[in-house]
Amino acid sequence: MIRVDNVKKTFVRYKSKKEKEIFYANNGISFEANDGEIIGILGPNGAGKTTLLRMIAGILEPTEGTVNFDDLNYKENELEIKKSLAYLSGNTKLYDTISCYELLKMCADIYGVVDKQEERIKEISKILNMEGFLYNKIGNLSTGQTQRVNIARCMVHNPKYYILDEATTGLDIISSQVILNFIKEEKTKNKTIIYSTHYMEEAENICDKVIMINKGIVITRGTPSKIKEKTNTTNLRDAFFSLIGGVLDAE
Amino acid sequence: MQNNLFNILKKELRELFRDKKSLVMMLVIPIFIPLLVIGMSALFDMQANKNIEDFNKIGFAYQLSEEEKEIAENMDIKITYGTEDELKQKYENSEINLYVTKENNNYILNTGSNDNDSYAINLMQTYFDSLKQYMQANYLSNNNINPNEVLNIINVEENIFEEDDNYFTSYIKNYAFLFIIMAITVSATYPATDTTAGEKERGTLETLLTFPIKSKDIIVGKFLGVSISSIVTGVISLILAVISLVIAGNMFSIYDGIDIMFSGTSLIFAIIVIIAYSFFISGLCISIASKSKTFKEAQSALTPLTFISFFPGMIAFMVGVETTPILSIIPFLNFTLLFTDISNGNINLLNLLLMGISTIIYITIVLKLIIKQYKSENVLF
Repeated sequence: MIRVDNVKKTFVRYKSKKEKEIFYANNGISFEANDGEIIGILGPNGAGKTTLLRMIAGILEPTEGTVNFDDLNYKENELEIKKSLAYLSGNTKLYDTISCYELLKMCADIYGVVDKQEERIKEISKILNMEGFLYNKIGNLSTGQTQRVNIARCMVHNPKYYILDEATTGLDIISSQVILNFIKEEKTKNKTIIYSTHYMEEAENICDKVIMINKGIVITRGTPSKIKEKTNTTNLRDAFFSLIGGVLDAE
Repeated sequence: MQNNLFNILKKELRELFRDKKSLVMMLVIPIFIPLLVIGMSALFDMQANKNIEDFNKIGFAYQLSEEEKEIAENMDIKITYGTEDELKQKYENSEINLYVTKENNNYILNTGSNDNDSYAINLMQTYFDSLKQYMQANYLSNNNINPNEVLNIINVEENIFEEDDNYFTSYIKNYAFLFIIMAITVSATYPATDTTAGEKERGTLETLLTFPIKSKDIIVGKFLGVSISSIVTGVISLILAVISLVIAGNMFSIYDGIDIMFSGTSLIFAIIVIIAYSFFISGLCISIASKSKTFKEAQSALTPLTFISFFPGMIAFMVGVETTPILSIIPFLNFTLLFTDISNGNINLLNLLLMGISTIIYITIVLKLIIKQYKSENVLF
């Protein structure tokens, strides 16, 4: 289980060369993600989704609040937590000069996957249909193929938690479907998945629970059907606008 | 070696040796060293073995006496007569190198300022010294005084100790070794930029920070990768410097009588200085580049280092600074001074030890600062 407790994150923003202000990218966000659950973090660009997920993945440190994985926290168990999670974002880049196989082997070595390493890499490449380009350099792959390598990188150590930040952004319909299928498949293995997107329809289809955030604060949470019922709407897109009072307010 | 440190080092070396730009920086820069050594040797050899035919055509705007002619002929001076205007014209047409005009007992040497003109002036000053001596001896003889009793009261002899180097060879060797220091700096700059600011700009740093690896292992892995690249450049440069000095020794007469073969001990100590400098400059480059947001910004920040690495040593060499224990701990200057000492066969173990200890201290401080930076999220922004 992942427990995010009253997490706040501030950054300094410069209004002019001399004038600066502190603003909250996240302001008091709390939620729990249980084993086998897919939690969707929804919101427009700039809502604070990436900051939140980076804090959960241990890349950024919260200004206030805590993130716990079962009984472990980053201050005392950083490496242990990182061994049990995989982080993937739409912007995640890989090393162009090495091959997919070399990358997967490097990740397996880093995560300490020693037993049957070769079989594990072959198995993952089969699942993700990467066999045709497994030994190609990453720099020569298409965007969709690169994102598949990224998923393979995440799967290699069989993590308990997945933190996926807009993982389907910019991908074609086939590549994004590969990722959605992967998420569904991992859920069946009782994995915990935190998944951010600004594609509301996508989230509606795969998430067990949804947390909508805007301007760094949670505006609603619950199952997609509950949120629709609460806002008296037929989809999450309309629900979001009804909660924030229209497009102009979101701006 | 910790496992993840080894994994990061393997990744860094793989990227480094597969990247064409890194390879060019690492392997091509040393090629300039043989060009520098052979080029400078050829230039100095030409100056040292100047052919007298290039500067012995002298014009006289007056008629020479028989005695003057004899002195000129003994000095291989080719005499041309004419009026001042005619000789000026001949000088402008490069038919003569210098012309002499005379007013009573005042002789004027007229020439320009190029290389051959300078040699012509030296030649004519020797000629007039001989002429003066002849005239003084003649005057004394005519007045029944033995010239030797006046002109040669004392006798001066030269006893020049045999040296391992002459001015030219020591100049060439020092510059070749200074160039090795510069080559190492240039070689460290590119991979240090690529592995820090480059990785940040490409977005792979975020991926790296999600791995269960300690910041210390990431930094030390990167540091060792850049250092290995610099050491490769330094050792290739040293090998090429030694080979080109041996080739130049067989080609040019300025090396005659000088043993330019380096002893095994000199080479081992030269490699030790290369390794120490590679570690130092790699740490410094990584610390500067990791503060930059983009590859371009990092490159701009690192450009002055190339000059800083070269100039202290060059100035020290020009003004004749000698290595002392204090100078052995001053960064940049210590490496170039000790390196040139080794190239001249002077090995001072105390100075080398001080350089080694101070370098370890500098590297430790620099690495601690970078590790601190990588522990903070600021490294991403």
